[in-house]
Amino acid sequence: MSKSRIKKNTIGVLLVLTALYLSLIAYFCYAVLFYGSRWFADSYNTRVKMDEKNPRIIPGNITDRNGVMLAETKSELVKDSSTGKEERYYFRAYHDKATSVAHVVGFNHSKYGRSGVEALYIYYLMGYNNSLIEKIYQKAFLPQERGNDVALTVDFRLQDYASQLMKKQGKKGSVVLLNPQTGEILAMVSYPTFNPNNMDKVDDDSLVNRATQGLYPPGSVFKLVTAAAALENIENVLEREFNCTGTAEFNGTKIQCYKGEAHGVLDLAQAMAVSCNTTFAGLGTEIGWKDLLQTGKKFGFNDDFLFSDIRVKQSNLPINYRTSKQEMAWTAVGQGKVLVTPLHMAMIAAAIANDGVMMEPKLLYSVVGRNGNVQKQLEPKVYGKVLDKENAEILKSMMAKVVLEGTGKQARSNRITIAGKTGTAEQGSKDQQNKNLAWFVGFAPSDTPRLAIAVLLEDVGQGETGGTQAAPLARKVFEKAVELGY
Amino acid sequence: MPAKEYEILALTMRYWFVLLIIYIFVRSLFSTLRCLSNVKAAEEESTGNIPFVLVLLSLTAFVLLSLKGKVDLLALLMGILVCSTFLFQYLLLRYLFGGIDRYLLLMADTLCILGFIMLQRLQPALAFRQVEWFGLGSVFLLLTILYVKYFKHWDKLNYPLMVIGLGVLILTLAIGKEMGGAKNWIQIWKYNAQPSEFVKIILVFVLSADLQINKSRLRRLPVLLFTALVILLVVLQKDLGAAFLYFCLFVFLYYIATSDWLIAAGASFLAFLGAVISYQLFGHVRTRIAAWRNPWADVENRGYQIAQSLIAIASGGWVGLGLGLGSPHVIPASKTDFIFAAICEEMGILTGISVMGLYMLIMVRGVAIALKAQKPGDMLLAMGATISLAVQSFTIIGGVIKMIPLTGVTMPFVSYGGSSMLVSFGLLGIIQGIAIKNSKKDQDEEAQEYHDEGDEERNEQEQD
Repeated sequence: MSKSRIKKNTIGVLLVLTALYLSLIAYFCYAVLFYGSRWFADSYNTRVKMDEKNPRIIPGNITDRNGVMLAETKSELVKDSSTGKEERYYFRAYHDKATSVAHVVGFNHSKYGRSGVEALYIYYLMGYNNSLIEKIYQKAFLPQERGNDVALTVDFRLQDYASQLMKKQGKKGSVVLLNPQTGEILAMVSYPTFNPNNMDKVDDDSLVNRATQGLYPPGSVFKLVTAAAALENIENVLEREFNCTGTAEFNGTKIQCYKGEAHGVLDLAQAMAVSCNTTFAGLGTEIGWKDLLQTGKKFGFNDDFLFSDIRVKQSNLPINYRTSKQEMAWTAVGQGKVLVTPLHMAMIAAAIANDGVMMEPKLLYSVVGRNGNVQKQLEPKVYGKVLDKENAEILKSMMAKVVLEGTGKQARSNRITIAGKTGTAEQGSKDQQNKNLAWFVGFAPSDTPRLAIAVLLEDVGQGETGGTQAAPLARKVFEKAVELGY
Repeated sequence: MPAKEYEILALTMRYWFVLLIIYIFVRSLFSTLRCLSNVKAAEEESTGNIPFVLVLLSLTAFVLLSLKGKVDLLALLMGILVCSTFLFQYLLLRYLFGGIDRYLLLMADTLCILGFIMLQRLQPALAFRQVEWFGLGSVFLLLTILYVKYFKHWDKLNYPLMVIGLGVLILTLAIGKEMGGAKNWIQIWKYNAQPSEFVKIILVFVLSADLQINKSRLRRLPVLLFTALVILLVVLQKDLGAAFLYFCLFVFLYYIATSDWLIAAGASFLAFLGAVISYQLFGHVRTRIAAWRNPWADVENRGYQIAQSLIAIASGGWVGLGLGLGSPHVIPASKTDFIFAAICEEMGILTGISVMGLYMLIMVRGVAIALKAQKPGDMLLAMGATISLAVQSFTIIGGVIKMIPLTGVTMPFVSYGGSSMLVSFGLLGIIQGIAIKNSKKDQDEEAQEYHDEGDEERNEQEQD
C-alpha cells in the first residue's frame, strides 16, 4: 500500500470535511441573520409569554401612526372565590373598535397565544432590543421591567373606514392601502374579523389575515404582469393590432372573453381597458414561460418575502419548461395555477405607480423606549426594480384608461383621478355558483400617485365583477384618504 | 441571591464567557495553522494559558450557577471537582506521554467543560454523573493510547472483533430497549449502554486493519460484508444516525486506502437507494424529512423538536440570554441531542460558532496527525477516528440547526451520556496514540525495531 497515495487521498478528505464544516458555519450565520427574528417571534416561543400574575416584563403599547392607542397592558384585582385573596391579573386591552384592526394588531392572550403585530414585534414589545445598561437599570431600579412602545404605519381612521365598508359589503375579502413611495401600509383589512377583547367567541376562519396569508387566483389583474412581460419582450407590441372574436383556442382549450363578447380589432391599451382575455392569452403563449417567469419573479412571485416588518405568504407562479401552451394561455389571464396574496397585488400596483420600483411593505412606524427616546424608525427599503420607467409610464396610462373608459368605470371619482385594473377570477370548479373573486388594484392620483390599493372580495355572484363590486369600494377608500390629507 | 441581582450578574457575565470561549478557539486556530504549515512540531507547541483559561471559565460559571436562588454549595463543589478532574487528567497525560497533542486534548476538554456547565444548569445530578463519565472516559483514553501505541498486532484481531460487533448489535436487536424512537439501548446492570456507539471503534479498527494491505476486491469480501451487516442492523434498530456514520466511515476510509472510485460510488448509490426505499417504507423516516423541510407546518407534533431548537437559538442572540436566564427546558432532549441549542440559547450564537470551530479544528489536527503517521495502518486508524468524530458532530449540529434532516446521534464530548463520552474519548485515544507514535522520541525507538518490522511487511505483500 503506497503511503503517498493515502496521503493524497487524505488531503482530499480533509478538504471535503473542511468544506462541510465551513458550510455548516456559513449556513448557521445565514439562517440566524435572515430567519432569526421570525423564529424568535414564533408564537410557540414561551420565553416571551406574558404571565397573567406578576409578569416579569410588561409589554409596551401599540399605537397607530397618529398615536391612537390600539393595544396596552392593563391589570385588575381579581378576588379568588375560594380563598378570598385578592390578586392582580395582567392582560392586554385593545381599542374599543379593535375589530377594525384585529388582523394587523393581532392578540396576545394567555390561552390563545399570539398573532399579528403582537407576535411579530414581541422583540420590541418585551424590550429585548434594550441595551445592557437599560436592562440592568430596569432590573435594579424599577419594580417591574417594561417593554417598548410600538407605533404602526396604519392610520386608524382609514383602517376603520375600510373595515366598515367591508362589513357593509358583507363579503369575505381584504383591502390593502399602501404608500407606493415608502411601502408604508396605511390600512390593511381582512374580513370577516374578530374581537381581540373577547377571544372566547372566535371562529377560525375569521382569524386568518386574508391580506397576507390568503392565496387567491388573481384573474385579470394578473394582466398587468403579462402586459409588463409583453412590453419587455415583444418588440413594437404597442403598435400591434389584435382581433378579438370573443373566443380563442389554444391546443384544444377554449378561452372566452367576459360573456363571450367579441371586442373586434383593438390595440394593447384597449385590450387592457376592456380586459380582453383572448388578446392576453395569445400574448402569454407568445411570450413563453421563460420570459413570463422572469418578469413574474421580478414582481416578487415565487419569492420567500423575508420582509422585516411583516409576514407574507409566498405567491405562486408555477410555470416551467413543462408548462403546456394551454396552461400558458390560462396563466397569462391570471387563471391556471397562479396564486397571489392581496398585499402582494397592492405591492404590484404600487410598483407600477412608483416608476417601476417596488418598495418593501412597512408596518413599523417607530419604536419608542421608556423615556420617550426613539429606538427605531421607519426606513423605507427598495424591494427591487421591477420595471423600466418608460414601461411603468405606459402601464400607468393603460390603467388610467381602464378607469376612464374601461371595466373600471365605477372607480371614477370627481375628487381624485384613479387608475386601476379590475379582475374577476374563477375559483374552484366552474359549476359552483357565487364562487368568483372580485379584484380591483390601482393607485391615485393617476399622474402623481401617492396611494396604491388592492381590493379583493370573495364569493361574488353571477353577473357581478371586479368592476361592479371591488372598484366602487376602492374609490371610496381613496376618497376617504384624500379627505384625511394623504 | 435574589432573582434580580442574579439576573444582572448573569447578563453581565455572558460577555465574559463568550470572550473566554472565543479566546480558546482563536488560540487553537492559530496553533493549528502553524501546525499545518509545519513551522513547529505539534508537541512543541506551547499551550500557554489555555488550561488556566479553562479553569477560569469553569470556576466562574459554576460560581455563577451556585448563586442562583439560594446559594448552592454543591454547585461550588462541582466547580472545584470539574477543575481538579480536568487538571489531573491533562497534567497526568502530559506527564505520561511527551508526544501527546496537547491542543487536541484541550479542545476536547473545552467541549466537555461546556457540557458540564450546561448540564449543571439543566440538571445538576446529571452534571455529576457526566463528570464521572469524563473520568472513566479519560481512563478509556489512556487505555486506547496504550493499546494503539504498544500493541503491535492490533490488525490480527479482525475476526474476533467482527464477531463481537455483530454479536452486540444482534443482541441489542433481540433484547434491546427502545428509547427516543430507536431500539438501540441495552441494559447492563443498572446502566443503559448504546452498543452502536462502541461498534464505531470496532469498525475503525476492522476497516483500518483490512485496508492497510493491498488486496483484491474479492478478498475484502468479509469486511465488506461485515460493514453492510452492521449498517443493516442499526437501520433495523431505527438508529439512522449511526447508519449514516458507519457508511461515511466506510466510504471515506475505503477511498483513502484504495482510491477505488467504483466501490465508493457503488456504495453511495446503494446508500441513496436505501435512503429512498426507507423513505418509502418507514413512517419515521418520512416524519423526519417532513420535519426538516418545514418544521413550522406541524409545530405541535412532528416539527416540535426542531422548531423549539430554532426558537431557542434565535432567542439567545449573539451572546445568549445569560446562564440561567433562558428556558432551555422547553427544548426536547436538551441534555443529549439538542444540547447545542441549549448552549446557544444561554451562552450565545458566538459560542455556538466557536463550538463548531472547535470540532473543525479537532478534525484538522486529527488529519494532520494521520498525515505524519509512519505506517499506512496508523494513518488509516487516525483518519478513521477523525472522520468518525467529525461526521458525528456535523450530523448532530447540522440537524439541530435544520441544515440537514435530524438523526439522533449525540454531540461528542458535550452531550450527556456514558456511551457517548467513553467512545468519544476512545476515538480521541486512537488519534493521540498515533500522535505519540509520530513524536520524535518515539520514532527513535521505532528505528531500532525497524529492521524486523520491514521484513514482516514485505512478507505480507508477497502473499497478495
